[in-house]
Amino acid sequence: MPAAVASQWQDRQRRVFQSVFQTDVAQPTPQSNPSTLLPSPELPFGVPTTSLLGQQQQDALQSHGHPPADHHSLRRGSPEPPLQTTPAQPLFPPTAATNDQATYDRAWHVVTAHIALPSSATADDSFGMPTTTSTLAAEPQQQQPWPSSRRRGGRGRDATAPASSSSGPVSGPAPGGDFHEAFAVLANAHSLLPHAARTGDILAWHVRQVRAHFAHHVTPLLAGCVDDGGGGDGGDGDESGGDGDGSGGKMKEVDDQGRRRRRAVGVKGNGKGKGDYYERHMVIVMSSIRTLEGALRLYFYGLHQLLSGFARLADVAPEAARDAELLNARFRRDLHALVGGSVPAGLIRSVKAVLVRLAGTILGIPSPVEVGGGRAARPAPPGSDDLKVQAARERLAELVQQLQNVGLAGERFQVLFAEVMDTMMSNFVIGAYAGVWSAPDTRSFSATMDSVSRGAPLSTASPCIMSLNDWVENHFARLSFEVLACISGNPQGPLPVSLADLKMYQSLALGRLAALRIQELFDIVLAWPASRPALEDLRATITTAARRKQLTNSFSRALQTRLLHPGCSTLEILQTYISIIRTLHALDPSKVLLSRVEPGLRLYLCQREDAVRVVVAGLLASPDEMRAARKVKEVWRQQRDEASQATSRRRDHNNPFATPGMPGPSSPGTPQPRAAHRGFAARTDTTPSHTPVPTTPSRPTLPDKPAERPSLPKKLVELALLLTNDPSQAQTRRGAATAPSSDDADLDWADPSWLPDPIDAGAHYKRPRRSEDVIGTLISALGSEDAFIKEFAAVLAERLLLPPSSSGDNPAQQRFEQELRVLELLKRRFGEASLQACDVMIRDVVDSRRVDAGISKRRERMGRESAEGMEGAEAMEMGTRDGIDYHARILSRLFWPGLEREHFLLPAVVVQQQERYEAGYEGLKSRRKLTWLNQLGQARVEIELGDRTVTVDCNPVEATVVYAFQEGGDDGGGGAVQKSVEELYEQLQMDEDLITTALQFWAGKGVLRRVPGAASSNTYVVAETLSGPATGAAAPDDTATDQPMEEEEESATAAAAGAAKQGMSAKERERRDMYWRYIQGMLTNASASMPLAQMAMMMKMLIADGFPWSNEELQDFLGEKVAGGEMEVVGGKYRLVRK
Amino acid sequence: MSFADESQNSAPDNAPASKLGGARKGAEPGQNAAKRLQTELMQLMTSPAPGVSAFPSADGNLLSWRATIEGPEDTPYSGLTFKLSFEFPSNYPYAPPTVLFRTPIYHPNVDFSGRICLDILKDKWTAAYNIQTVLLSLQSLLGEPNNASPLNGEAAELWDNDPTLFKTKVMDRHKDVEDD
Repeated sequence: MPAAVASQWQDRQRRVFQSVFQTDVAQPTPQSNPSTLLPSPELPFGVPTTSLLGQQQQDALQSHGHPPADHHSLRRGSPEPPLQTTPAQPLFPPTAATNDQATYDRAWHVVTAHIALPSSATADDSFGMPTTTSTLAAEPQQQQPWPSSRRRGGRGRDATAPASSSSGPVSGPAPGGDFHEAFAVLANAHSLLPHAARTGDILAWHVRQVRAHFAHHVTPLLAGCVDDGGGGDGGDGDESGGDGDGSGGKMKEVDDQGRRRRRAVGVKGNGKGKGDYYERHMVIVMSSIRTLEGALRLYFYGLHQLLSGFARLADVAPEAARDAELLNARFRRDLHALVGGSVPAGLIRSVKAVLVRLAGTILGIPSPVEVGGGRAARPAPPGSDDLKVQAARERLAELVQQLQNVGLAGERFQVLFAEVMDTMMSNFVIGAYAGVWSAPDTRSFSATMDSVSRGAPLSTASPCIMSLNDWVENHFARLSFEVLACISGNPQGPLPVSLADLKMYQSLALGRLAALRIQELFDIVLAWPASRPALEDLRATITTAARRKQLTNSFSRALQTRLLHPGCSTLEILQTYISIIRTLHALDPSKVLLSRVEPGLRLYLCQREDAVRVVVAGLLASPDEMRAARKVKEVWRQQRDEASQATSRRRDHNNPFATPGMPGPSSPGTPQPRAAHRGFAARTDTTPSHTPVPTTPSRPTLPDKPAERPSLPKKLVELALLLTNDPSQAQTRRGAATAPSSDDADLDWADPSWLPDPIDAGAHYKRPRRSEDVIGTLISALGSEDAFIKEFAAVLAERLLLPPSSSGDNPAQQRFEQELRVLELLKRRFGEASLQACDVMIRDVVDSRRVDAGISKRRERMGRESAEGMEGAEAMEMGTRDGIDYHARILSRLFWPGLEREHFLLPAVVVQQQERYEAGYEGLKSRRKLTWLNQLGQARVEIELGDRTVTVDCNPVEATVVYAFQEGGDDGGGGAVQKSVEELYEQLQMDEDLITTALQFWAGKGVLRRVPGAASSNTYVVAETLSGPATGAAAPDDTATDQPMEEEEESATAAAAGAAKQGMSAKERERRDMYWRYIQGMLTNASASMPLAQMAMMMKMLIADGFPWSNEELQDFLGEKVAGGEMEVVGGKYRLVRK
Repeated sequence: MSFADESQNSAPDNAPASKLGGARKGAEPGQNAAKRLQTELMQLMTSPAPGVSAFPSADGNLLSWRATIEGPEDTPYSGLTFKLSFEFPSNYPYAPPTVLFRTPIYHPNVDFSGRICLDILKDKWTAAYNIQTVLLSLQSLLGEPNNASPLNGEAAELWDNDPTLFKTKVMDRHKDVEDD
């Protein structure tokens, strides 16, 4: 009775409490602290999170229907609230309602105790704390209604743990009958215990329990695994406890091995830590997997207990049993989500490292460790019989399966895998094909290449593309397939990697290849034509306008940084330009790419004054030079072939796709392949290593190293070679000349290879002819026709007036052929009219040879028949009386560029000859007058000195100067002839600079000697004997009398040998005068006073032919003017002095 | 007729260009005037005419020039220098430049803001003229004003009737302008 009263009172109290606190009555067990149900008395974190008051209230409230809770609190020895005493008595509640409730609660307790989780993650895992033993030890003290259940459950779990894989249906041993009774009560609570007010879902309870357990125990363990593996062997202390538990032996062994290995690593640790990089991560991954497996086994054990309960009840509650499978799957899904969502970042890193390693092995990409080991490892598709690869493949499959089982193969893993595969593809493409332009090793064409690639329309594919496609199909896609098939877990579903996916992979890989080739394009250009296969790659992969744009942009940038800087000579730039033209033409015959790249180059070439000259000189290169250049090229090609395998990894350093895990420039131990590790731009710092392996065989990069490149072509002989060898250069133009309609390729309906205009062609795009047309492109790149023609005329004039060289039987004739060829070529391009002057020049030279012969002959004849004829009266004297053979070239003044007269007095004998010649000419061609250009020409001088005879070919200025020493000798009786510059100046009326230059020339020949003595001595003396200074007593008269037979040709060595060196040529003076007029005009009109920089800027802008002076030169010039009183500097600004 | 015109117009443009080499860069449509002016500058510098000079302005704009004329001997302007400004249209030489006296000048054909009444700068302009010819024409205009169509009536009258007063007015009006 008092019990009933108490119970009623309790009931009322509960109701009041509920109305206030809204407690979930359907919650028989406090949700917040599942540990209260755990039987272990030594719970490390068994203290409930609720406040003490709340706990009391709860206990009070539950005491009636929850005897286990009371027992718990008793056993825990927690402070006993006074209220606690009451609920101890009513084990068998008097009323039906309380009775039902109690039954239910008891059943609840049985079940939950049966499936309750230990406080460790895995009782049978060595990572767990030694709780299992204490659990067992606590068993005898349990005074529960079903005392054996817990124990039996524990045993059962222990016994079956190794066998119970987490998959599959219920596999644990049949739980005891009490469990099933209790479970039946719970499952059918509604029908059996209609009065139990508070019922719950045992499955939900299990799930909650699992969640909490996972969060409290497994997650720290996982983190511990990662820390452990990463930071060394920190967590070894807790090992011993779990050893007594005999379960899971095999796995434990594995783990222990791993740990031992780890410890070994820790010991050797710092020495070869890198070598075991992969091992370390593998250990982390494996131990994490073990931990999770253990935990999951626990969770599934509980679930299977429940499910087996359902299975038994199949006849009673069929609907509950029916969805057992469903429940199982849902539980698994929830659990995997839980695991996947709480993986520590360190574990992800480790999984990635392991994946990279395994996938790298499978795909044939060497790991950085191997590369660092000195082996020049280049990725290559592994052979099908490679044991290492098979092992890795199996290992990876196993790993993925394990990850899948523990729920780590979720979305994050897939993303990770995708990342790894992406990196792999980049690494493979870069590693295998960077710098490799021809076909890689043939074993890449594996026999398995049967299905897709064969059928694909790859007829035009280059070797690289073929092998890359093969790799993607047989290795990359295969690996993806294997891994994804493992993950998908749905064998009946669609294939994880479809044919479309394969195509996509291949196009991705080709994109990578395209990016690589674009990066390399500049080197490809330099290595042309050896790099032709690489161009094939590009041509096959550059298919979209975006990629074309990327190509041109990247290439333009490369040009700017690697070519268009002051360190490259104009010759180099032009040679590269030729390569660019040919390369890009091969890449894109429509020339759109070329036109995109060109502007920067052209603009830069405009700054190079000598560009036109170099081109013209190249066009006019002699066959000898061509032969030499060809030989040099051969040598280079050989060197390059030798070095080709070494040039492989040269572009690592700016490898855009390099990932930390891949070979980087920092790996120190690769001496041999790094030798070629340089680009064009890096020239300065790599010069020393340049010697053995010229990477840029088609062109010189180090003009100042003659020893290494013994026979550098000094000219752009490529052009001459083209002109002579490449018939297309001439043919196209001839074709164009004969059939003008061929310009309109668009209208050529019969052209079978017609293609539409490229999509990125500009608005003014005009279809080019099909040939490369290197010369034409180059000429048009150099600016206006006028400038080119002018330069050509100058060069031509120079060459025509060159003294005939002594080598070769008829070199002059040959040279003419070359020049005529070029002239014809240019005529076709520019038209006859604009090259008229050049025509005239050549005709002049040919004519003057004839005229010269005619005059000589006539004079001889006149000499013989001196009675006849009026003109040739003196002709006889020529050869005989003076011993001077005199020839002239007659130039038409109007048509020859750069002919300036230099005034000086020739020796009288020569003047006589000139007069005679003049007379002869006027006899031949009446009404024409000759004006002598004395400074142009060549003389052969024979000087007889005291102890030797010297024969020198020199220019007229030098001959005149030395002749003057002969004249001076007449009066000086004893010593050698001695003259100062001033004397010579008076005598010859020659520019002093020229005199000085000539004197130095003769001093260099040992004919004259500077008189020692006065510091400012500019007096020279004839060196009659070689030994001793001016012991002039010996035979002075010889020089005087026997001075030379002079053979003088009035021809041009335009640059007048040394004259320009010290003094200013007439041209230079002229130029300075003109600049002075510019400056005067500027300061008169634009602004009365200007600073130097502004003046230089204005000059540069305004002078049409360019203003080559630097600011310093201009400053010097202005300084002269200031010193001369023509200008003054006021406040840093120059102004004209007002007169 | 049209052919003759064309050849007349194009001849002076092409001839000096081909003779002097011209700029390296190809001529774009808008660059013609600049190119021509560059060529003219070269001509002025290589064969300067006495008493006149011209140069692009200091701001680097090739379409804007400054010029100087020295007053011819035996005229009231003897010993004086006059600054002028030239503004070239972008279609020069197919349209005349705008020429102004920047130095104040007392002259029958120049108004007080420096505007000039000269037929070759208006309707009689042809592309055959250039800066040098314009400057020489202006120089001769100083000595021989066209009193038939004066901008400055008083000056025209004084020129004919009172040279002394004219000279005084000229000297009064003239003052050197400084650069801007």
